[in-house]
Amino acid sequence: MKQLQMTLNPSFSLISTNKIIQMNDVWTSYDSKNFALEGINLSIDRGTNYAIVGQSGSGKSTLLKLMNGMMIPSKGTIKIDYVTPDMNNKKFKKMMHTIGYIPQSLGLVKNITVIENILIGALPRLNKIQSLLKKFPESEIQEAKRIMSLVGLSGKEDRKAYMLSGGEKRRVAIARALMQKPTILLADEIVSELDHVTAREIMNLIADAQKRMNLTAIMVHHDIQLALEYANRVAVIKEGQKILEIGVEGDIIVDFQTGDLNTKEIMEMYSDDSKK
Amino acid sequence: MTPKNNIVIGIIVALVVVASYNVDANPLEFVEGLPNLAIVVEEMLLVEPKYIPTALWAMFETIQMAFIGTVVGTAIALPLSMFAARNLNSKYVYAPVRALLAAIRTFPSILWAILFVIMVGLGTFAGVLAIVMYTVGFVAKLQYEAIETIDSDPMDAVSSIGVSKWQLIRYVVIPESASHLLSQILYMFDYNVRQTSILGLVGAGGIGFYIINYIKFFEYGKAAIFMLVVLVTVLFIDWISVKIRDKYIIKSQHGMEVTTK
Repeated sequence: MKQLQMTLNPSFSLISTNKIIQMNDVWTSYDSKNFALEGINLSIDRGTNYAIVGQSGSGKSTLLKLMNGMMIPSKGTIKIDYVTPDMNNKKFKKMMHTIGYIPQSLGLVKNITVIENILIGALPRLNKIQSLLKKFPESEIQEAKRIMSLVGLSGKEDRKAYMLSGGEKRRVAIARALMQKPTILLADEIVSELDHVTAREIMNLIADAQKRMNLTAIMVHHDIQLALEYANRVAVIKEGQKILEIGVEGDIIVDFQTGDLNTKEIMEMYSDDSKK
Repeated sequence: MTPKNNIVIGIIVALVVVASYNVDANPLEFVEGLPNLAIVVEEMLLVEPKYIPTALWAMFETIQMAFIGTVVGTAIALPLSMFAARNLNSKYVYAPVRALLAAIRTFPSILWAILFVIMVGLGTFAGVLAIVMYTVGFVAKLQYEAIETIDSDPMDAVSSIGVSKWQLIRYVVIPESASHLLSQILYMFDYNVRQTSILGLVGAGGIGFYIINYIKFFEYGKAAIFMLVVLVTVLFIDWISVKIRDKYIIKSQHGMEVTTK
């Protein structure tokens, strides 16, 4: 039954050619001795809401940095839409324009306004004179305002970023990423510091945008419950290795590595893991 | 105190005594000279108020010189600081720019003033040029250090969009280092007013020209008026700087309202 479910849903198809991200035996190390990631294999379909879950130091943030070219693997291959992510690769540099990346710290420019922060997402579409003079075309400003209302920031255009609350800052970071007209959205534990209600508001926002824009969203989480609530697929990373990859469709959870664990066992397995 | 510390202190004291002997710094002469100070102070107290308008005008000229020097110097220093920051450039770019800035800072402003007096002749213009050079050396250094301390998170996040380096500077580096810059400009202006006040010593204009001439001719009363004007002006500028700093800088750095007393 579970296997059937997998083949009926295109995002679960194991032989899909519509892979936007492919990682093959990827190893990374910050020094020559210790590996942050050890032989990771990942294959993510276009339009998936994908979650990567793990404890601190498990290597989950490193995975995101590999996907946006900010880090290169010590071993193995990565393809983002069939291009190797590397900031020195011209083809990939152009692709970066449409990869939204929200780091855990959000990376907002504190001393400029909300709308200026959001418009940064449009910078790759501006010419030199326009960007030097901060002269954004009216269409971009309108687009920024449209996204602001989408993420619930209307009326806060001229607030300085440092004046915002935690939830608002996350909305700005999401809006900046959406302003890039992204095909991929990478978000690193952006709701882990928020209260339960605000975290769900932010997650709903991303889920909406993901469906509306047919984004491939890859979100790193600490909390498996939250990941299961929103993602179609969840990869669990532990000590640099992918120990579990599960697909979620309604109440049915399928383990893609072993194939035959039931929902309860998977949940218990992770729950134990997260309590340690 | 340990015996080791006593030895260190003993050595330092011995070095001071030897050096004083070498440079002929005799404390006795200081004591013998005290009555002369009394004469100077006595004469200074004979202030001549009719020189106040001249002193104010000379001070105004000095402030203008410092103002031009600060603005022009900062305008030159800013692009240089972008090239000198290690987090924005390769070694081949920042190393030579830093060397140039270090060379500029080697000379105190008074030496620059002498050089420019030789180049463009006596007068305020030589003084302005000296202040420009001094400001370039210092503001560029302070600013590249400020740029290097910018939080790397927004830099990384914005770089990951694939923007150009100039866009990164325009949209992250400049706004994030702007509050430091304002603080540095204020400090530099304050400092430049004091510096410009002595450039007159070498004929580079400003209020110092009057002070040195009155002192040369033992007219301490007149010199005192000019010195008093310098003192009041510097205190006033300092006070204004603190106000501006509280209002704009502290707030933007900490992200909260600051109430000034």
